[in-house]
Amino acid sequence: MPCYQIRLDDDEQGFPCSSEQNILAALAPVHNARIAAGCHGGGCGICRIVIREGAYSCRAMSRAHVTADDQACRIALACRTFPRSDLRIEPCSEWTRRLARRGVPSGMNPSGAMPTTGNGEVK
Amino acid sequence: MSVLRLGHVKLRVLDMAEALDHYTSVMGMIVQHRDLSGDVYLKCWDEWDKYSVILREADTAGLDHLAFKVSSDSELDRLAEAITSFGLDVAEVAPGGLPFCGRALKTALPSEHVTYLYAEKETVGKAVGILNPEPWPDGLEGIGVHWLDHAMLVCEVNPEKGINRVADNVKFFREVLDFGLSEQILPPGGGPILAAWMFCTTTPHDIAMGPGDGPGLHHIAFYLDDWSSILRAADILGKRKVRVDITPQRHGITRGPTTYFFDPSGNRNECFAGLGYLTQKDMPTITWEADNIWRGIFFHSGYVNAPFLEVHT
Repeated sequence: MPCYQIRLDDDEQGFPCSSEQNILAALAPVHNARIAAGCHGGGCGICRIVIREGAYSCRAMSRAHVTADDQACRIALACRTFPRSDLRIEPCSEWTRRLARRGVPSGMNPSGAMPTTGNGEVK
Repeated sequence: MSVLRLGHVKLRVLDMAEALDHYTSVMGMIVQHRDLSGDVYLKCWDEWDKYSVILREADTAGLDHLAFKVSSDSELDRLAEAITSFGLDVAEVAPGGLPFCGRALKTALPSEHVTYLYAEKETVGKAVGILNPEPWPDGLEGIGVHWLDHAMLVCEVNPEKGINRVADNVKFFREVLDFGLSEQILPPGGGPILAAWMFCTTTPHDIAMGPGDGPGLHHIAFYLDDWSSILRAADILGKRKVRVDITPQRHGITRGPTTYFFDPSGNRNECFAGLGYLTQKDMPTITWEADNIWRGIFFHSGYVNAPFLEVHT
């Protein structure tokens, strides 16, 4: 099966992803925290990306997180996106920023609770 | 109490074939019916009513509705009045409006989750029967979950706007449906409730509520016997390469042995073992202060796992 290089933002160093592998699964071994991993099923929306360059195909994704207009603008969920050429992608998830900022959902971070980084470590 | 149990949930899934494979061959549920719109009705082997999960293919994942079974038809009349008095709209649904059920009431919780109440559903019986039954049936696939145990809802909590749908739901479940409050999360020093575990049976939760940006589904949970069943379930999830969220752990809240994972559309599932502890209506509510929530959520690890709260459908 064909294998492609995926570049995140303008990183020179890409990571490999086969045509039968979704981008989120391919990203896991390189431990990149800029694209968050959630449900891996197209339902939660946390791994939302925009594909800046290259050809790809997508499986069903929740319209709550990727509208038809979003899809036309090359927005997709990494867990449902399969490369058809080398790609250049960027994170496009409000959730990633929220997680990094707050660590816990609205209301659950009163004074005294723990601010965290996006990967769950206490700062 | 007039509400007997969480009777069923209807889930939206992105791909029916994948969802069916998960709920049958991984979870071990049994297909009971497929309707003209393509919705599929499933039950667990240890349940007696026709179904506890309905799957509907849709372009979003998440919870379509939840439904509680109540003790009698006359209770529906009393509950319709109580819901109206509480200030919520309630609609009568004719028999069969909920498939294989008698008449039902349809309302939306304060958190906006669509909820039905019904008193009758077609009974098909447990897989082991009721005459000199064996303890479990032969031929179960996968984990072989016993029954739908509870659901946890994501409810809007936004202190800046003065919105706390967890608190509103607790009031509704207490005052209208006569549920007890087994456990709650409060901010240090007191303040508005942030999460709640409530019961109509004798276990710590039949429904739970946590905070988020709007109405959502945190998870649905299925019952297993004990720790060894949880370990076996986790083995099956690994063998089947199911996306696991939390490997076997113990909750501080409810004390339940647990493992969490996602169905193929990203709806979080839980296998929850055992009773937790006995609840009765006079049991004093247990409180977790928000700076202890992670010990409460996962008693062994006890550290922050923000995506566990933030990732949901």
